[in-house]
Amino acid sequence: MPRALLALLLIVALPLWAAEPRDLAWSEMIPPDAPPEVPNMTPLHDLSKMGDALAAESAPAAKQDLPNAPVVKALDGQQIRLPGYIVPLEVSEEGRTTDFLLVPYFGACIHVPPPPSNQIVHVKSEVGVKLDELYQPYWVEGPMQVKPSTSELADAGYQMEAQKIYVYELPE
Amino acid sequence: MYLFRLAMASLANRRFTAILTAFAIALSVCLLLAVERVRTEARASFASTISGTDLIVGARSGSVNLLLYSVFRIGNATNNIRWDSFEHFASNPKVKWAIPMSLGDSHRGYRVMGTTEAYFEHYQYGRQQHLELADGRAFASDPFEVVLGAEVAEALHYKLGDKLVLAHGVAAISLVKHDDKPFTVVGILKRTGTPVDRTLHISLGGMEAIHIDWKNGVPAQGNGRISADQARNMDLTPQAITAFMLGLNSKISTFALQREINEFRGEPLLAILPGVALQELWSLMGTAEKALFVISLFVVLTGLIGMLTAILTSLNERRREMAILRSVGARPWHIATLLVLEAFALALAGVTAGLALLYIGIAAAQGYVQSAYGLYLPLGWPSEYEWTLMAGILLAALLMGSVPAWRAYRQSLADGLSIRL
Repeated sequence: MPRALLALLLIVALPLWAAEPRDLAWSEMIPPDAPPEVPNMTPLHDLSKMGDALAAESAPAAKQDLPNAPVVKALDGQQIRLPGYIVPLEVSEEGRTTDFLLVPYFGACIHVPPPPSNQIVHVKSEVGVKLDELYQPYWVEGPMQVKPSTSELADAGYQMEAQKIYVYELPE
Repeated sequence: MYLFRLAMASLANRRFTAILTAFAIALSVCLLLAVERVRTEARASFASTISGTDLIVGARSGSVNLLLYSVFRIGNATNNIRWDSFEHFASNPKVKWAIPMSLGDSHRGYRVMGTTEAYFEHYQYGRQQHLELADGRAFASDPFEVVLGAEVAEALHYKLGDKLVLAHGVAAISLVKHDDKPFTVVGILKRTGTPVDRTLHISLGGMEAIHIDWKNGVPAQGNGRISADQARNMDLTPQAITAFMLGLNSKISTFALQREINEFRGEPLLAILPGVALQELWSLMGTAEKALFVISLFVVLTGLIGMLTAILTSLNERRREMAILRSVGARPWHIATLLVLEAFALALAGVTAGLALLYIGIAAAQGYVQSAYGLYLPLGWPSEYEWTLMAGILLAALLMGSVPAWRAYRQSLADGLSIRL
């Protein structure tokens, strides 16, 4: 009898255990076989071309290097938990952010290019989150959807229907 | 219950002081609730003004500044941007739709915005709602057609087919008018509760046409004047616009395009994410809001301390009252409860009157606040937070009431029936 109860308990608990999200690191969202980025390091022999090199460096500075960066398709449908910064796109009348981009870093750093498209998650949330500070990181939990790139128009990328959003705190 | 009746009877005996005390509390409560109400409603109306727009692009300035003048019609643009810059980005493959905006003129204090049909099609507010026409149609090919926001039409009593003259600049009383080129009302928008209600929409061609014969910042004189009919036959493609809004095919590409616009080599441009700029605006306003909230909390505290003083000073003159109560069998805790009840009754009366005052105030000022500041204050039930605030005030009053209660308790023990006069 106790054994049967235990088995029953296990059956009941199994879906709960299965729904437990797995912590995802941002680096796991870049496919391991993605081509490494090689900086342009051709030597400059002709000094008369120095002006061109400088002009190329000075203006249109950092573009997004990989607007259609490769994505990890295996993540599709997985229940995950991801920490990041919230960039609000849609704010409801109650002041709750219901639609946002989750990024691994945030701030006014304009010296480096914006994160590639495989380092951005487009998150939608029914309840939304009340954002007080842009510089506050959050945990976002939910099933991941991966959309591989199909055309020039639609960027490849990660999407998520958030189930839980809560403040990220530094582990003590 | 008889204790409460007794407390009320005692208060009624001193009704003048009691009413004044309750009134002081009422005023302070009204102030606190009003500050809270205006704060939440202002935020809600700001948040519901723009929706579904991914990027706003204008001349390089600050993100909050660009958001305020392009969406909320607050303040002025720093500079115009070139029409070909707009065309360059409107044809970008990442862009789904683009709305150009040209600002700077007005009609009796209401701002005029030059735009295209894309505005009526793609601009969204609230929870991704589109603009709807209450009457008439959007402007078409004729440059001298205008579509009014709901409030403009209502306040100035315009109907379809009316002619109106636009003024140069954004002052409510304008001395320079484009009176040689009147506009015809062809459509009136439904009320949205956003700055759209206070805007007159004309086509970019119309905006170009009213300024076509301006030379060196003044309208042309004599032969240099170009009539409305002549203007109709001219090329009215604008040279410059004030800002534009973009909707993208994929939200993921927002950063990429923002970066591309900010580093556009043609001219210095600024692209902002409206949600982020709004958040920045709120953190800016947050400080002022907090200061106002703290001040009104202190005003409530002052009101409650006024009540405490009134009760404490009355204690001395009510020694005889207490003594008589004791002689007819009241116990010391009866006396203490009596005083706590008195404080509670005063605070309750104050909070109720304060709430009533707030609603009377909102009902009276609603129309004015809406037309002057564009802020709609609904006459809704108090929010959860407001209930908490009022409960907090009552709790504070109970705590304060326990001070005179404690003193009366001690005195009634010490004094007993021996009255030392």
